[in-house]
Amino acid sequence: MLLLSGTLPTSDVSLTVGRVKLDGRRMSIGDREVPPEMLSIGATAMMAAAVKTTEALGGEPPMSVVAGDLGEGAGSKLVFQYLTEEAGGLGPSIVTLHYILPLRNEFLGFVEMADYWAKRPFLVADAGALLIAKATRVCDKFDLFTPDAGEISFLADPDAGHPAYVKAALFEVDTTEVPRLIAQAYAAKNTPRYLLVKGPTDFIVEDGKIIHTVSEPNIPAMEPIGGTGDTLTGIVSALISAGFDPVKAGLIASKANRLAGALSNPTPATRVFEIVDHIGEAVRKTVDEQ
Amino acid sequence: MPSSSKDDGRSVFLFEHFRDGMRAEDILITAGFHTRSGAPPPDVRTGCDLSISVPTSETVDAEKKLLEHGIKVWDVIFKFSGNLPELQISKLLKKVDYGGYVMVRVGNMKLTYQKKSGVIVNVSGGGCPDIPLLAVMMIGKTLDEVAPPAQTGFTLCAYTLQKAYEVALKQWKEVA
Repeated sequence: MLLLSGTLPTSDVSLTVGRVKLDGRRMSIGDREVPPEMLSIGATAMMAAAVKTTEALGGEPPMSVVAGDLGEGAGSKLVFQYLTEEAGGLGPSIVTLHYILPLRNEFLGFVEMADYWAKRPFLVADAGALLIAKATRVCDKFDLFTPDAGEISFLADPDAGHPAYVKAALFEVDTTEVPRLIAQAYAAKNTPRYLLVKGPTDFIVEDGKIIHTVSEPNIPAMEPIGGTGDTLTGIVSALISAGFDPVKAGLIASKANRLAGALSNPTPATRVFEIVDHIGEAVRKTVDEQ
Repeated sequence: MPSSSKDDGRSVFLFEHFRDGMRAEDILITAGFHTRSGAPPPDVRTGCDLSISVPTSETVDAEKKLLEHGIKVWDVIFKFSGNLPELQISKLLKKVDYGGYVMVRVGNMKLTYQKKSGVIVNVSGGGCPDIPLLAVMMIGKTLDEVAPPAQTGFTLCAYTLQKAYEVALKQWKEVA
């Protein structure tokens, strides 16, 4: 079972745990309705993509643990607390951490506790979770990161605590020399076993070795669209949960995310949920071709 | 103005929120303290934070000044002798022209607006919880009517988005 965790952009910090459902643009998590205006960049895009993927594969919908958080951290604390104290009882095989405030003690508490679960889950980190994993030097406790170009620069820079602290020299080369940045990130031990680096070219990496690259379809208008990285994280998480090998899952996710983008005929003004609408079809087609 | 005495290292103020660190720096600079800012030392770093250091001899007065302004100091590291890596935001700027739209990227944050109208059409990047909120608040509004993200955001991602917003607003006004 896949457990997705993250925060919602609302002042209602209450914790919600439940199955994610998506009916058109109506999303619910357990008995919590997610207002349509919240369907945007972040955890909602990731969860929607995961739902579409599990539907396409005929599997069970993902579980999710969320709380409202406007950036001050109260909701993030509740999510970490649930992950640490109760999530093990659900028995998820994969846990994905996403938009969440990097809280050092709470994060480390969960990472340590996951070692004591009956079966250690496959751990995926993106966004805020990726930042705190590097800051606390526990990247090797994770299995998959899904960084974008800015984030792989950050992982490659041994001194940077956040992408805003990355040396300018690394920022400048982020799209043209990603393989070198990947090598530097592994050398600095700032990576898990697998990376799915997203950008104009996606890189699927295992133990520092680039196994696949995906560049087509190349849709420059995808870059400005907030949430397209989140959908990729949702798709790959759902594929791994369905039993795909992480490298194969990364390859399919990369191709399917791009295909969904192409099917939406995007412009820089396209919203991510216009792309989400095509993820099911894109996943089915991509899986069939493999 | 506080005076700095013999070199006995610096004290580093840590804050729960990045936004508190930014406010603290403004307050202490205005009050004449000899501040430096940057990422906290690695063993207390979260990834989304900013610490402020002052000469150790100025510690008590600086903390008192912050408390006067309602800034809560989460912790203080005394006699710290290392360096605090500085923010690089001003050096991490890229612009991409998409014809009718311009994307401004600063660090890990991207803001895209329509050239003609100045309407913000997308916000991308980041990893902290205030970014989805800011995206909801900003998309669909023009650059000159939207509230600057730093007013609402708490985090370094929001501050980075603020810089992208400032670049976009300046550029749009220059062309308009």
